Amino acid sequence: MKKRLETQQVNWTIELEAMPQFDMAMQRVYAWFENEIIDRPPVRFIAHNAFLEAATEDIAHLTKEQKKDWWFNSELQVDLFIKSIEGCRFHGETFPVFFPNLGPDVYAAFYGAELEFGEVTSYSIPCVRRWEDAELLKLDLDNKYFKKIEDLTRHALERCTGLFLVGYTDLHPGLDCVAAWRDPLQLCYDLYDEPDQVRRLADLAIADFDFIYNHFDALLKENSQLSVSWMGIPTHGKMHIPSCDFSALISEKFFREFGLPILELETKSMTHNIFHIDGYGVAKHLDAILSVPEVHALQWVQGVGDNYPIMQWVPLIKEMRSRGMPVIVDLSVEDLDNFIAVMDPRGLFLWVAVEDEQEQIDILNRIKKWV
Amino acid sequence: MEIAEERTIEHISQSVVKGDQAATVAYVQNALDAKIEVNTILQVGLINAMSEVGRLFEEGEYFVPEMLIAARAMKSGLELIKPFMTSADIKPSGKVALGTVQGDLHDIGKNLVGIMLEGSGFTIFDLGTDVSPEQVVEVIKSEQVDLIGLSALLTTTMPMMETTIQAITKANLRDRVKIMIGGAPITQDYADRIGADGFAPDASQATRLAINLMNK
Repeated sequence: MKKRLETQQVNWTIELEAMPQFDMAMQRVYAWFENEIIDRPPVRFIAHNAFLEAATEDIAHLTKEQKKDWWFNSELQVDLFIKSIEGCRFHGETFPVFFPNLGPDVYAAFYGAELEFGEVTSYSIPCVRRWEDAELLKLDLDNKYFKKIEDLTRHALERCTGLFLVGYTDLHPGLDCVAAWRDPLQLCYDLYDEPDQVRRLADLAIADFDFIYNHFDALLKENSQLSVSWMGIPTHGKMHIPSCDFSALISEKFFREFGLPILELETKSMTHNIFHIDGYGVAKHLDAILSVPEVHALQWVQGVGDNYPIMQWVPLIKEMRSRGMPVIVDLSVEDLDNFIAVMDPRGLFLWVAVEDEQEQIDILNRIKKWV
Repeated sequence: MEIAEERTIEHISQSVVKGDQAATVAYVQNALDAKIEVNTILQVGLINAMSEVGRLFEEGEYFVPEMLIAARAMKSGLELIKPFMTSADIKPSGKVALGTVQGDLHDIGKNLVGIMLEGSGFTIFDLGTDVSPEQVVEVIKSEQVDLIGLSALLTTTMPMMETTIQAITKANLRDRVKIMIGGAPITQDYADRIGADGFAPDASQATRLAINLMNK
């Protein structure tokens, strides 16, 4: 049974020049959260991890320090985003969202971990080599990464009016954060060798989560923004994307012992939680994930390589749907007809990797006939 | 083998499968004290145990932590018998150089493959992450490795696998090494297309592939 935090929610609209159907799109999103359909399931024209597929600028030739400067250049990052949406019209539920991004381990970096920047993502450098090192981990609001996320957010807020939404950064508290501090394989050893130390680090990796979330949420709400992040699905309340990529490495027993208590904590003060299931390794914990009533929806990502395309995962998606979960799926155009043929549209949110505007409109018309 | 010897070897094997490092060391020492052949300790006790660990992983009974602690136990046992391996004329299974290709800093899969290969008796040269084709060519020349393992997690970096293979070919070293590749976006089809000798979807299968490639 899904449990939604009750709030006295006032819905407001945002005028976006390139998305005249904004309010209708929001209604379709809200209907999807309730497993209902207004006229068709919501559709977002983007592939999962599209931003990882192609850098917005070629920075391969830059030194490590120059790469960091590129990521830290708030004006440039917002400029590049605005350039990327210039002349675009946003169809379906493809909300144009700028989210301040320093990579998936930025939450760990707020406590003192260092990041190394690549072309499309960043990597944390493990900082808890000895258990004593954990004493140095402390949330610091003057931390350079925390400040930079604030700075990126403010730069975007100054320039977003009428053009795009501004979201909050990709937050990975809990075991993903511990893995960033400790190194994922080392953390695997720790689960057997030092479970109490793992619990101690995991407690620290969730202790300030509400504070951090609320800090950026307040910054956005002061500017009449919605609650949205990299997933590009906004709500007027508090939308969060819980995930645990580290769980792909471990047994269900360990996930229930070390990961589930974190999931319960990170979801409880949110109005909309969409759990990001990144591949079958994470999906094996589905029962545990769905034991948390505050998980309101799932995003299924089958990944690439042999895990692609989606049709081999239809039984799993049907299983998620049979448990009452609204599910986001990542489709290629080639899969669309086959997928539609075997699935009920209710409760599905389609992500389709199509750029051409006319093709997007055609797909929306095809999907309307599915209902 | 006598029954007592068999029992000792069985204890070694079970200790490795359970990931019990202390017990593995104790039983290997018992085996050495009992003058059990070093090759038997290695092949029947340690390496067979790692094959069983691989099987349990592939069947979804074991996960990465269980695989890691088993490999650690195996390695501790291996350290004990190493001084006796030369006199027993036991050679490593092969020399493998591993690296994540240029532009990619992901290393979980690559490290895991290294740990599992080491547990199966291979000598590992870990080149790290963001490894250039030139570094790979250099290690083939300097260390006479038998096998190259290339890893990539991103679709943006996987073309560097082909570039690396081309560099090896251009340096006239392609006949000297086998090349295996892996990583989330990689498929057997991709491996065939770029001229790799094999692809493995996980560390356990990478170990089996390495053994097969060494026997070709």
